[in-house]
Amino acid sequence: MPNWSKLQTRSFLESSARERALGLVDEGTFTELAGPFDRMSSPHLVALGEAVEFDDGVVTGVGRIGKRPVFVISQEGRFIGGAVGEVGGAKMVTTIDLAVAFAEELRAANPKIAADELPLVAISFETGGVRLHESNAGLLAHAEVMDAFQRARGKVPVVALIGSRIGCFGGMGFVAAATDVIVMSEFGRLGLTGPEVIEEEMGKDEFDASNRALVYRTTGGRHKYIMGDCNFLVDDRVAAFRAQVAELCRLPVADFEQFRRIGSAALVEKQMRLVALAAEMQPKDAYDVWRRAGNNDPAGLGDAPVDDFRKQAQRLSV
Amino acid sequence: MALNTLEFDCKAEAASVRLAAPVHYGVVGSGDLEVILEPCDLGGGVKVKVTTPISGFDAVWRKVVETFVNRARLADVAIDINDNNASPAVVSMRLQQALAETAA
Repeated sequence: MPNWSKLQTRSFLESSARERALGLVDEGTFTELAGPFDRMSSPHLVALGEAVEFDDGVVTGVGRIGKRPVFVISQEGRFIGGAVGEVGGAKMVTTIDLAVAFAEELRAANPKIAADELPLVAISFETGGVRLHESNAGLLAHAEVMDAFQRARGKVPVVALIGSRIGCFGGMGFVAAATDVIVMSEFGRLGLTGPEVIEEEMGKDEFDASNRALVYRTTGGRHKYIMGDCNFLVDDRVAAFRAQVAELCRLPVADFEQFRRIGSAALVEKQMRLVALAAEMQPKDAYDVWRRAGNNDPAGLGDAPVDDFRKQAQRLSV
Repeated sequence: MALNTLEFDCKAEAASVRLAAPVHYGVVGSGDLEVILEPCDLGGGVKVKVTTPISGFDAVWRKVVETFVNRARLADVAIDINDNNASPAVVSMRLQQALAETAA
């Protein structure tokens, strides 16, 4: 087991799924569920002669932050790019359902239970989406996770954490968008079609995937923060992500509606205004949008230390 | 084209080191592996299972794992490996790291 205190100072970007899961909750409180010793690997990969992992690339478990039980799901990008298959998807769904069932149990036992004693779900995304080897089973897993979010809505807050190497793309980009609140670091990337796929389909003129600066200012945490696609931008430290989750842990579940980016008629209208703005503006670069949001020196803001960025950045309002 | 499973037993020459608790270490990244070491009553021996997409390297696997078992003087341990094309040097290092985790 990695040392919890040392984990706190570690880069979130460089931490493995298990390290992130362990470091997010209070020291010594993490219990892994369906962990490697249970050997729940993918049967599909075996049939294809592809390497398997004992936990199928997803770490699931439960710990505590203060009094609050925190159900953790953490994806491992080094295993097939964090792609989600049948077993890993089932682990995600079961963890969310466990949190909802536990919340109902706690409320039934004590109707006056404090908000910060009820469960919360934290998902550390690191994935390119569907595991293509498992095709329909992998796609179905995505739909089932979204279904689980709907069952959790208004009962258990679901927090997305994005700051790992692979980012959060493909179908899991949709899934992350359907959570209640998104926390990113500047190294986190969120999107649907990944840069390489856009370049492959539309050509290098449309999107140059080898241009790292372009990739990050289009899909990275800073841009997502200005666009309102992520709610909070934190430092690249396990402790920073943990501190943000701990702060959210103090809120009752009803307060999480304010963080949602999708999921109501008013939010649909807001998204439509955003589409209209894009059609009107025809932006050629993310920085065009930053300027529109009221940032007069987007390049300077992009290069500024993340702490200064947080203080200065104007967020787009539509 | 199915995944290959390699199973064998070995015994350290001066087997005396037993595990207090099971340990898991590593991630099945490209060119990498994960390993589970578990205490298991095997009359002082060591049981090994390797799951890998690669075939034709059975003798190398045996050599690398036996060298590790002998050096660590392991007794009554079941070793379970999920491999994704790791080189022998990486296999050897991950086994040692897994063992170091049990001491931590």
